[in-house]
Amino acid sequence: MVSNTEEIQLNRLENQVDNGGGGAWDYLCLVRKLKVRRSEKVLKHGLSILNDPKKRSSLGPDEWTLYEQVAIAAMDCQCLDVAKDCIKVLQKRFPESKRVGRLEALLLEAKGFWEEAEKVYSSLLEDNPLDQVIHKRRVAMAKAQGNISGAIEWLNKYLEIFMADHDAWRELAETYVSLQMYKQAAFCYEELILSQPTVPLYHLAYADVLYTLGGLENLQTAKKYYASTIDLTGGKNTRALLGICLCSSAIAQLSKGRNKEDKENPELQSLAATALEKEYKQRAPTKLGLLISTLKSLKV
Amino acid sequence: MAADLRYEISQNAYIKLVLHALNHKTAAVNGVLLGRPSPLNHSILEITDSVPLFHSNLALLPPLEIALIMIEEHYVAEGKGIVGYFHANERFDDAELGIVAKNIGDHICRYSPEAAILLLDNKKLEALPKVKDQSPVMQLYTRDGSKNWKLVGGGNRLMVKEPAANVVLLDYISSEKWHDVVDFDDHLDDIKKDWLNPELFK
Repeated sequence: MVSNTEEIQLNRLENQVDNGGGGAWDYLCLVRKLKVRRSEKVLKHGLSILNDPKKRSSLGPDEWTLYEQVAIAAMDCQCLDVAKDCIKVLQKRFPESKRVGRLEALLLEAKGFWEEAEKVYSSLLEDNPLDQVIHKRRVAMAKAQGNISGAIEWLNKYLEIFMADHDAWRELAETYVSLQMYKQAAFCYEELILSQPTVPLYHLAYADVLYTLGGLENLQTAKKYYASTIDLTGGKNTRALLGICLCSSAIAQLSKGRNKEDKENPELQSLAATALEKEYKQRAPTKLGLLISTLKSLKV
Repeated sequence: MAADLRYEISQNAYIKLVLHALNHKTAAVNGVLLGRPSPLNHSILEITDSVPLFHSNLALLPPLEIALIMIEEHYVAEGKGIVGYFHANERFDDAELGIVAKNIGDHICRYSPEAAILLLDNKKLEALPKVKDQSPVMQLYTRDGSKNWKLVGGGNRLMVKEPAANVVLLDYISSEKWHDVVDFDDHLDDIKKDWLNPELFK
């Protein structure tokens, strides 16, 4: 997960490199550190370093890390010849290496040779059964072949061993959502909120899932989690503010005809509406009219 | 009757959707189609514009509900309504209309009973530079009498209004114009970004 500031910094560097302002190596390091997927840029700028003998030798031992990074980026862009060349260089320098073995299996994946890739991964796992990257490749391979339920199975197995891997929990949650298995997705977000209670993204996602599930209880809980998202983000999260309004509207609809004890406190909704209007007035004035009529249609 | 209806999509609406898909190559994306029955010929439904919606968690309701309210509100002032749904699958070789797309399509049929679903045809898009084809790189789905979504074959019930649209599309692709497309997800993350994409084709 990348924070807003980190993304801005990354984009600034990317722009700089794209426009010939140098800093390619810093950019590539930042991409690696943040674990973002910018394969076309990595391929382009990585190759510009690798193909220049002077630049390459100035990297010292980092040269090999760059070969690995470019190989993976090349595979993501389906430039399999480039990937093969990079892997060859690494094989020469590190014969018998397990890390290079993983790259070879990845190349098989890129070519669509799933069974061969699986064979290589299995044999690599024999020597190192707790290699997280390989376990995750199994999930990725299942997904790539359209076997989503298989991917879910592998992911669940992975999480039994590596239960602190938050990215995996998120991946599982999003996969469940894509299959409209919202209860299971909710469970994943509950795990995430339990282990990292101050990350607003999880509160927001949980609220979205609960709202989608529907029903009075889920809507009321969703409203609480939109509220906690607003709390954790200093009131700046448009999605959460809109979520409050949606929940209030849906709850009021479901509560029609019920007794007054269930009547919602209207303060939260009007506070959210005011905050939204202020935001739109300041930053998106052309859309203010639309926002106001949207809020009007949500007030039951 | 929906069975005889032809769908004519404007070049800008068409290109915007394809560029949106290309901007998020590793994800499923979707969008909404705006338009109206043709004033000259009631057996043609004109798709005059499109709004790219999301590139993550397409199956969550809150962002979708907000988007549909705002989009409908905007276009009703122009005499246009929501007339269809666009979907692009996550994987290249997935040519099926998935359950999420069908469900959203059903929801959109409440706005317009003759709504269509357009599914991006990845293989056709890939082949476009080599095959000089004027037909859109999308598959058309409509609902039959039992409200099931069926692929409409034959290739003449969906067309792009401007015959040179694919040439223009290829041009935009080579200049990587997809970077400029703003979707509703982008707007919700930063409301300064405008999902109407007013400057896109200027």
